[in-house]
Amino acid sequence: MKRRTFLQLSGMTAASALLAGCQSQNEKLIPYLIPPDEGVTPGRANYYASSCNLCPAGCGILVRVSEGRAKKVEGNLDHPVNRGRLCARGQAILQELYHPDRLQQPLRRSGPRGSGEFTKISWTEGLNLLVGKLKELQRERATDRLSMLTPQLSGSLAALVSGFMSSFGSPHHLTCDLLSPDWLRKANRQSFGQTGLPFYDVAETRYLLSFGADFVENHLSPVQYGNAFGRMRQERDTVRGHFTYVGGRMSLTGASADRWMPARPGSEGALALGMARLILTETLYDKGALAANGLRPDELLGRINAYDLPRVAELTGLAKETIAEVAREFATTRPSLAMAGETVAFHTNGPEAVRAIQLLNLLAGNLNHPGGVYPSVSPSGPENSFTELLALVNNMREGRIKLALIKGDPVHTVPQATGFQEALDKVPFIVSFSTLIDDTALQADLILPDHAALESWGDVIPQAGSRHKVYGLMQPVVTPLHDTRQFADVLLAMASELGGAVAAANPRKSALELVKETIRKQVAPEKGNDLEALWVDLLRRGGHFNSDGTPGNEYRWISTSPLPNPARPEFAGDVKQFPLHLQLFPSIAFSDGRGAPFPWLQQLPDPMSTVVWDSWIEINPATAASLGISHGDLVEVISPRGSLRLPAVIYPGIRPDLVAIPMGQGHKWGGRYAKGRGVNPLELLELVKGSEKQPAWNATRVRVTRISKHGDLVTAGHPQGSYRSDLIGI
Amino acid sequence: MKRSWLIGGLVCISGAGAAVLILMYILPLDFKERSPVQPIIFSHKLHADAYSIPCLFCHRSAPKSRLASIPSVADCRACHLYISPDALEIRKLMGYWDKQEPIPWVRVNSLPDHVYFPHMMHIRANIDCSACHGQVSAMERISRTVSLKMGWCLGCHRQHKASIDCWTCHK
Repeated sequence: MKRRTFLQLSGMTAASALLAGCQSQNEKLIPYLIPPDEGVTPGRANYYASSCNLCPAGCGILVRVSEGRAKKVEGNLDHPVNRGRLCARGQAILQELYHPDRLQQPLRRSGPRGSGEFTKISWTEGLNLLVGKLKELQRERATDRLSMLTPQLSGSLAALVSGFMSSFGSPHHLTCDLLSPDWLRKANRQSFGQTGLPFYDVAETRYLLSFGADFVENHLSPVQYGNAFGRMRQERDTVRGHFTYVGGRMSLTGASADRWMPARPGSEGALALGMARLILTETLYDKGALAANGLRPDELLGRINAYDLPRVAELTGLAKETIAEVAREFATTRPSLAMAGETVAFHTNGPEAVRAIQLLNLLAGNLNHPGGVYPSVSPSGPENSFTELLALVNNMREGRIKLALIKGDPVHTVPQATGFQEALDKVPFIVSFSTLIDDTALQADLILPDHAALESWGDVIPQAGSRHKVYGLMQPVVTPLHDTRQFADVLLAMASELGGAVAAANPRKSALELVKETIRKQVAPEKGNDLEALWVDLLRRGGHFNSDGTPGNEYRWISTSPLPNPARPEFAGDVKQFPLHLQLFPSIAFSDGRGAPFPWLQQLPDPMSTVVWDSWIEINPATAASLGISHGDLVEVISPRGSLRLPAVIYPGIRPDLVAIPMGQGHKWGGRYAKGRGVNPLELLELVKGSEKQPAWNATRVRVTRISKHGDLVTAGHPQGSYRSDLIGI
Repeated sequence: MKRSWLIGGLVCISGAGAAVLILMYILPLDFKERSPVQPIIFSHKLHADAYSIPCLFCHRSAPKSRLASIPSVADCRACHLYISPDALEIRKLMGYWDKQEPIPWVRVNSLPDHVYFPHMMHIRANIDCSACHGQVSAMERISRTVSLKMGWCLGCHRQHKASIDCWTCHK
């Protein structure tokens, strides 16, 4: 090439590059083809009050809708449960609406189960198929071969589902929710003769003692209790409430405490009784409270005499002085409050331990007092869903279930030790109502996709978040994006197709009618009879929040009920072979896994370990050193049931004999953001021999071995830089 | 000798580079066209001057929203079904309607994303449209008449004693 041509060419290249940079930068201005409906002004947002149904806490939300599109979810200031606050999971329900893998129409399985091969069908075909199966059951007089699995429901949907099942003639309606507070309802029934969940007046208390209740992250109503905790610390001018946390792993809640008592797993009940005994011997108890509940101190002391201080110190692995000091502080500070949480409840001695903690509240005079614990007006719920699950698994395995209707994702959230997954495989026809192909829908023969929460009508009775009666309304804030139908509407359509007794028992035509009916029956009698005005008012406010008057119900100890006696906890796995306790905790982002499909939650770093997009196992530095494991190594966790590989996080806030794994990841399917990410630690769990009927999810022992240094751990902060390990120690 | 040449050359080159950078900083480098060609030859002069249609008849959300909005294709068509339906440009318009496609107008007045500019507040303060948009009724093809830079905004805000707090526009 001649020098001249080269110069010409390079000059031309430079000029064209410059010209490309100078091209018109003007954007396009695209008008509407047809002007939008009345009420939509371009550039102006509308706000709709609704309720969040991602977890049973049922917080009130305000949704900003601009040009007919939902843009942002925030808490509803008027709602008594969350008072304008909202957790990360609630904020992320927008992504349920806009998820790119949302099912856009019904699907029918075309390949083998689990292959993920489906063909698109119309709603008419889908409903005909399902109604055909139901009619077949009716013809064969085998209506009890139908089973229905749902997460915890409340309000009119709960009534609809149970009404549908009973009118069809099947007893197999199962609420399967791993974290459902069955244990608390059961303990309440035994101690107080009522099943309502408690409402803890955290904001007004001066001494909070939490036995493994992670109320900032997940326990019962996390937004309510997180906010109340802030008020307990900072709202009062002269008092800053004291907080002691009992539990082997320092959770985010534990990290917010003034004192951390890392009791040995399963010994929390003994600790509570040890404190109770000390309070009784030093006569620090509330005499009036004991008399009012029909208990005599000397008799009580005689019954729990075995829990003396040296023995309790030995059982829990805590110092005698610490136990005595906390017990004295708890009894002498009024008002004080003790909470029991999942960490304690999911042991073989869980129910008894929870009752021991209730007894502690009674002794300190915290029942039915400001700053103490009240019964909340929450809807009744299941008390034995785990036993029912085992019974259903048995029925499925023996081929007594022909048709399973499943809302939610039990294939992911039920531990495999129950045999649920294999048993479900024996069910000839499975229908899923998921909004995307999750692990359960993957096994289904027919998927009838539900609306997203922001497209649905409904009502929510919040769980344990208020002392007063709260009725939260859900309204659609956008027109449905896809050809989906609301679960309630599908049930009602099936009922009317079936005709006869089922149609007669479920005469409503849509979820909207059903909600209006509930309001007419439950809210209207309190608020006057102008139904239309009431309806408009409820839509505007997002529900009915009654805060006037004091609810009359109170906790009274049943004098005939036996005193709690938490036996030594049993564990699955031999101590020599499996030296470490395994604790599973619900992730703050995903809860039991329902948040995993949403990318905002996937990229939310865990507040304690700062891990993003993955699962991890927390190991104490001393344990890790003895096993030769360092931060970020790939390790294998082996339990009597199975084994998993995941990266290690060296975490000083955990007992040396305990390791912990977050729940929520490890989906086989579940949309592009959840699929194949992390591991599902529920696969490790084993049922404890002798206590198989007990949901003892923290009672499995494991051993951990190092595999390699390539754990591929992604952390948002500097590894180990975010906690001052010199501040905590065991 | 050679070294001094080298140093001199380097100084010249870096000086030239610095000058270019300074020029790029000072000059209002604006690659946006002031009066781009639009997909349909729409005359504001004809509509706003000859037929005296008020601005807000078409840009109707200006008094109540952040955006002034432009009329939908259906709105244009509603009038032009009757008014000179056979003109060449009107047939283009009907062509868009038949294809059920919106008209890809080219944007002339735009602000960066970090500026919050609400039309309704300026209309309520009785600022004439022409204060920012110029004499639109005299334009055959719409064109931008002002710089839309921050200094220009502030000049007007000072003159009218409107807030010049950062948070007023940058939020």
